[in-house]
Amino acid sequence: MALLKRKSKVSDEIPTASMADIAFLLLIFFLTTTVFEEEKGLPIVLPEASAMEQAVSQSNIIHFLVQEDGAIVIRRGESQAEQVVSYSEIEGIMRQEIANNPLIIAAVKTDPNSPYRHMINVLDELQKANAERVSLQLWER
Amino acid sequence: MAKKSGGFERKSKAASEIPTASMADIAFLLLIFFMVSTTFRREQPRHLAFPQAQATQKIDEKRKNILHVWIEPNGDVYINDARVPMEQVGELVLPLYRASERALLISIRGDRDVPYRFINSVTEELRTANAVRVFFHTDLESRLTRARR
Repeated sequence: MALLKRKSKVSDEIPTASMADIAFLLLIFFLTTTVFEEEKGLPIVLPEASAMEQAVSQSNIIHFLVQEDGAIVIRRGESQAEQVVSYSEIEGIMRQEIANNPLIIAAVKTDPNSPYRHMINVLDELQKANAERVSLQLWER
Repeated sequence: MAKKSGGFERKSKAASEIPTASMADIAFLLLIFFMVSTTFRREQPRHLAFPQAQATQKIDEKRKNILHVWIEPNGDVYINDARVPMEQVGELVLPLYRASERALLISIRGDRDVPYRFINSVTEELRTANAVRVFFHTDLESRLTRARR
């Protein structure tokens, strides 16, 4: 009995003074570590399947040909003249084209075997140039 | 012995209960936090390397109106954790598009190295389902990394 009494002298309470600290610590931990999955990307509206094929004057089209190795060739309208450009030049060229002709359509033709990222690079530059009229096509030769 | 007993009594005069007044506050705080921050993951994450773009925009659309179409580097298409043969993508998306009252927005999540013909096939399939509002999922690219390209 005496032994029991001695034992019960030890504090039998759960210390709760730090409970709030622990709770807030956890709260802050979750607040800082939670990553919200956000939706981001390059939006584009595809032509509808029912849309009639529209005849577009060749003079209103600028072709961006994306080759398998990622090289970009520009072909304007009917002329078969080709111009090799780097990615950093595309934005400036497109801004110039839009200023000259607001109806210009940027047709991005990508080689079937070309990695997707090359097309995205071109689309990125076109969106930076605020090109509204963009057409994505497979470059079939 | 008497002295020891007295010591025990003194100690027990202190409140021996866990103060529960603020317990509810803490519980509700945590509850609200989890309610607000929890997003129910609809699908397993697929570890793809997305292409990078400087023009990457944040897409403001309700989560339920966004459908993820994943394209693996070998051309396999996954929708809602299930592999979908390319020619059935349109058939699968069409009922979802109708159910969303034409508000469906497609997130095309292709690996950066997917040959473009697979992306083209997917967009063609989406057109047959009339789901023409799409975006290509990209990661934001800083000007610094662009310079090295």
